[in-house]
Amino acid sequence: MDVSFINHFIESTANVFNTMLDCPVTRKSLALKNKNEPTHEVSAIIGLSGKHVGSLVFSLSRPVAFKCAERLLLVSYNEVNAEVVDAVGELSNMIAGGAKAQMPDLNLSLGLPNVVVGKNQQIYFPGDVTPISVGFQTPWGEMAIDVGFDTRLGGDLASVSRKAAVC
Amino acid sequence: MRILLVDDSGTMRAIQKRCLAKLGIVAENVIEAENGQVAFDKFSSEPFDLIMTDWNMPVMDGLTFLKKIRSVNTQIPVIMVTTEAERTRVVTAIEAGVSDYLVKPFTTEALNVKIEKWVPSGV
Repeated sequence: MDVSFINHFIESTANVFNTMLDCPVTRKSLALKNKNEPTHEVSAIIGLSGKHVGSLVFSLSRPVAFKCAERLLLVSYNEVNAEVVDAVGELSNMIAGGAKAQMPDLNLSLGLPNVVVGKNQQIYFPGDVTPISVGFQTPWGEMAIDVGFDTRLGGDLASVSRKAAVC
Repeated sequence: MRILLVDDSGTMRAIQKRCLAKLGIVAENVIEAENGQVAFDKFSSEPFDLIMTDWNMPVMDGLTFLKKIRSVNTQIPVIMVTTEAERTRVVTAIEAGVSDYLVKPFTTEALNVKIEKWVPSGV
């Protein structure tokens, strides 16, 4: 995987949080992720496909997910409901879209986000690539993005969905 | 002033409805649709003055919806509000007949500017 891809996702994450949520984020950590479990309890998964195929997993602790939804919808939340899921999915869409725009040569298309709740999940990336995980600190708690691109693969979004399966 | 608001995300529709409300457009005059097909069905049966649409949606995406609209109506303003920010995508939308374009993420100020451009004052 070309590790330079990750910078576009880091910048896009900060931009989405600043612009849509008026929330500064601080990058905490960057590491290869060898476990398949999501980092936090509410995770949006979105596939990208073009000259390469990859996935973004946008993973939030419950307090961060609740505050994100609250900022967007002006409603307080204390449980993960359809509105929280939709808000998290839309944020992942904007993060992936912002990163995609910085890589026009790859001619990437976005899939529609899926959201899983709970850490007892297994997420597999295209081509069994080992994703890079970036941890962020927000005023509301912790979150992370996991990004994995297989540069040997290129294909349609259906193939990404098959390869980035959630079990 | 009746607006057709098309986005598969209820969150995005809520944000855009709030901006429209601040501009004096009451909720009853903002008709929501979660994909292009539902939106086109509504457009075919009700009068609208402005369309705001996402690009990436299930069932029928915003570009296909835009092309269907333009095949029957070349006048109604259509604002595309989307994560698709690459130059080639914007050009594709312009060629399909989009009137204006706003990239997500956006500030509410930026959204207001786009809406005010197409919504006459005193609606």
